[in-house]
Amino acid sequence: MIEATNLSKRYGDVVAVDRVSFRIERGEVVGFLGPNGAGKTTTMRMLTGFLPPTDGTAAILGHDIFEEPREARRAVGYLPETPPLYPEMTVTSYVDYAARIHDVPRSERKGKVDRALERCGLADVSRRVIGTLSKGYRQRVGLAQAIVHDPPVLILDEPTVGLDPLQIVEIRGLIADLAGGDGDARHTVILSTHILPEVEAICRRVVMINEGRKTIDAPLAELTAGGKRLEELFAQQAASDAASAAAAKASE
Amino acid sequence: MRHVPTVAWRELRSLFVSPVAYGVMSLFAVLTGLFFILYVSAFVEWVARLTQFQEMERLAATNVNDDLVAPFYQMLDTVLLILVPGITMGLFTAEKQNGTQELLLTSPLTIWDVVLGKFAAAAAFVALLVAMVAAYPGLLFLYGGAEGGPEIGKTLAGHLGVLLVGWTYVAIGTFASSLTRSQVVSFLMAFVLLLFLQLLPAISDLGVLGGGSALGETLRWVATGVHFQPMLGGLVDTQDLVYFAVIIGSFLLLTKASVESVRWR
Repeated sequence: MIEATNLSKRYGDVVAVDRVSFRIERGEVVGFLGPNGAGKTTTMRMLTGFLPPTDGTAAILGHDIFEEPREARRAVGYLPETPPLYPEMTVTSYVDYAARIHDVPRSERKGKVDRALERCGLADVSRRVIGTLSKGYRQRVGLAQAIVHDPPVLILDEPTVGLDPLQIVEIRGLIADLAGGDGDARHTVILSTHILPEVEAICRRVVMINEGRKTIDAPLAELTAGGKRLEELFAQQAASDAASAAAAKASE
Repeated sequence: MRHVPTVAWRELRSLFVSPVAYGVMSLFAVLTGLFFILYVSAFVEWVARLTQFQEMERLAATNVNDDLVAPFYQMLDTVLLILVPGITMGLFTAEKQNGTQELLLTSPLTIWDVVLGKFAAAAAFVALLVAMVAAYPGLLFLYGGAEGGPEIGKTLAGHLGVLLVGWTYVAIGTFASSLTRSQVVSFLMAFVLLLFLQLLPAISDLGVLGGGSALGETLRWVATGVHFQPMLGGLVDTQDLVYFAVIIGSFLLLTKASVESVRWR
């Protein structure tokens, strides 16, 4: 479903992402974890075709993101770190625009827009201008934009960052719903975050990256087996990286 | 490229919910209205003076097209030079500020969909402005009739000229807005580019370039005014139409390259 092979991104001498590979199957909900600046956003931008990788490839549903961009992009719903909204548009016209540019056929458009609005709890504010909405609602509008064309793959970059606790619970519930649907409604989800309870609440598999490199790729159940907590693992990981960095420095 | 209308339509709607569209239209109406009054009274005074001094030859050579409509249209060139950068300054800069660039570039839209859609929206708005201007020669025709009013053919040729000049400026403004994140910088860059384009004939006449040299001639060819002028006289030459097509096409190509390069930075 989603396949990343040796994805790398370098900016001059700085290596942002270093040979990251993973394979995600249909219906999986994967938490993409790592401290700030680990390369999560860069990896997601490469998966969505926004940034070209320096090395390596990515494919969505078997379509290479640069060889067959149209097919690959049609299959992806993407919510970037800051929801890409036009503040002067109304909620409905914005989601309708997102449906149009994602090639939703005219005959299905109205139905899909209404459904996306309803699923994201936006029916009541559908005629409001986006610029007047609260941050939580804007995040929902961003999410509605990502799911309106029923993409098999959802890529969500820190969907709950900057929200208040109540909004966080709501958005998480929404994502869990999207991931838990049946048949066509079921999405494959990659969700980046540095909030661990979020992963425990929604995801079934964890891919952790640190300093651009993949460090862990395992089912959540396996990681937390024997009562281990994700926090400990996370801290351990960061500490071992620091230790190896120190060791590398010492050997120089 | 089938999504060009989708992008253009959204752009136009956003333009019309912002104060920019109305501001530009009002400013345009006021400026052209004032200039029209000035040009008409100058023309009337000129004819009155020629009549008073019995300068029959010069009076016979004077007509509404060449001595009123053409100079008025010529002046519109300068009005567009100031207003078009205001129309185009937000085209790409707003996408960068909103973060919607990421939406566009990760959607199945092609870069041509985006570039042509935005150009088409701004071009349609300029076409609306230019259509407003038709009211002025319309008034002259209304009062002058077939005898004293402007010739329709000549006027239409001039009108087409103004439209093409406007679209050329839109293409340049679109390119400027793709280069920066700031609307102010986008406006200034477009303005400076357009000013340079207007000054080209003067530059090409400079002694250093040895007026008539290959370089001088090339610079002259690039100048918009050189191709606009004959249309004011009623002459629509294929060569001039080709010029407008080439300049508009080149700047749209540059815009595409610039939008694409965002990915490689």
